[in-house]
Amino acid sequence: MYELFFQNFNTKVALTKEEETLIKNYLIPKKLRKKQYLLQENEVCKSYAFIEKGALRAYSVDDSGNEHIIQFGIEGWIVSDLYSFLTGEPATYNIDALEDSELVLISKTAHEELLQKLPKYETFTRLNITGAYIAMQKRLTSIISSPLEERYTNFTKAYPEIIQRVPQHMIASYMGLTPETLSRIRKRISAK
Amino acid sequence: MKTKKTIAIIGATGNMGSAISKSLSKGNYRLLLKANEEDKLDVLVKEIESIQTKAEVGVAVCPAEAGWEADIIILALPFGAEKEVAKKIKEVANQKIVISISNPLNETFDGLVTASDTSAAEELQKLLPNSKVIKAFNTTFAADFSSPVIDGKQVDAFIAGNDEEALQTVSELVTTAGFNPIVAGDLSISRTLESMQLLLIQLGIKYNYNWLAGWKILHN
Repeated sequence: MYELFFQNFNTKVALTKEEETLIKNYLIPKKLRKKQYLLQENEVCKSYAFIEKGALRAYSVDDSGNEHIIQFGIEGWIVSDLYSFLTGEPATYNIDALEDSELVLISKTAHEELLQKLPKYETFTRLNITGAYIAMQKRLTSIISSPLEERYTNFTKAYPEIIQRVPQHMIASYMGLTPETLSRIRKRISAK
Repeated sequence: MKTKKTIAIIGATGNMGSAISKSLSKGNYRLLLKANEEDKLDVLVKEIESIQTKAEVGVAVCPAEAGWEADIIILALPFGAEKEVAKKIKEVANQKIVISISNPLNETFDGLVTASDTSAAEELQKLLPNSKVIKAFNTTFAADFSSPVIDGKQVDAFIAGNDEEALQTVSELVTTAGFNPIVAGDLSISRTLESMQLLLIQLGIKYNYNWLAGWKILHN
């Protein structure tokens, strides 16, 4: 139920058995079926989710009702509306399951208590947030300055598993393209 | 939009379990029902789907599976059965709300089997130390759910527990079910709440209230 979570934790910072037990007391095991929501827009994001199994996406909806995918998540990743989680303001993202998923949730209350109690949890959090920041900077730079073909090629190289598991129209949404444009780009790449 | 919460109701085909399931199907919840009698459970699911066409209701194969998918777990079970189910859900109920509805009555309905310094809810909390045990729906009879207004007054439903946020969430459930929620205090108040229902049962038998009775606090 928490295997991957602790495996991931231990690669970032090694825990003793006692520390694992202490952390376990705070974790919420949660199964989510395909298409079910973990979070809906305008609700405060009260926990973040580590993915033990499955795939999720976070997306926002614009005024015309179009979905824009912000982030995908698969095994070993964390998904949340970090802005809402940290500030307590209503979420701007929706998060739902693309496959039947098994999650480990950490509530805001648990998060804050663990930060107080366990310096190793603080390290774990710092590394997670640093990682998220780096990913976001890369994504931002790529969106504003890389040519489309290069963006798609980089994405397929960085996340081959997501390409396998997620439908093309969602990849297009993630890249800010229409499915037709993405399809043209893919044709151009394969023709090379 | 509020994220739809999943509520597991274990013991869904009992008098209380089916009453709670039907009344909560009115709300923005996904219900996951579990009961030993599968035939009865199928009938209940069909009944709920026919009353509430928009209801999202499913059936779980075992208490642990139900609890794993759930955000809130309702043990619609007699006191005697709670212990065994608590063992099965302990791991998946970690940090989740678990609602105890039971009244630990003795066989002759004239006393409680729990000692005076504890309650069914507190005993459940001991079995599930990392869960947020909340006492609710123990002062309401099953029949009250279809008539939460008796003699022109909305029946009060008392809630007790130690976690503020969980009390708030359960208050919303109680409101969805049609009752007036009153947070009575921490989990130890369950002793009083369970004794209150003992009294109501005794009075019901004595004066023939026909199991449609409830508590209402009159105040200005």
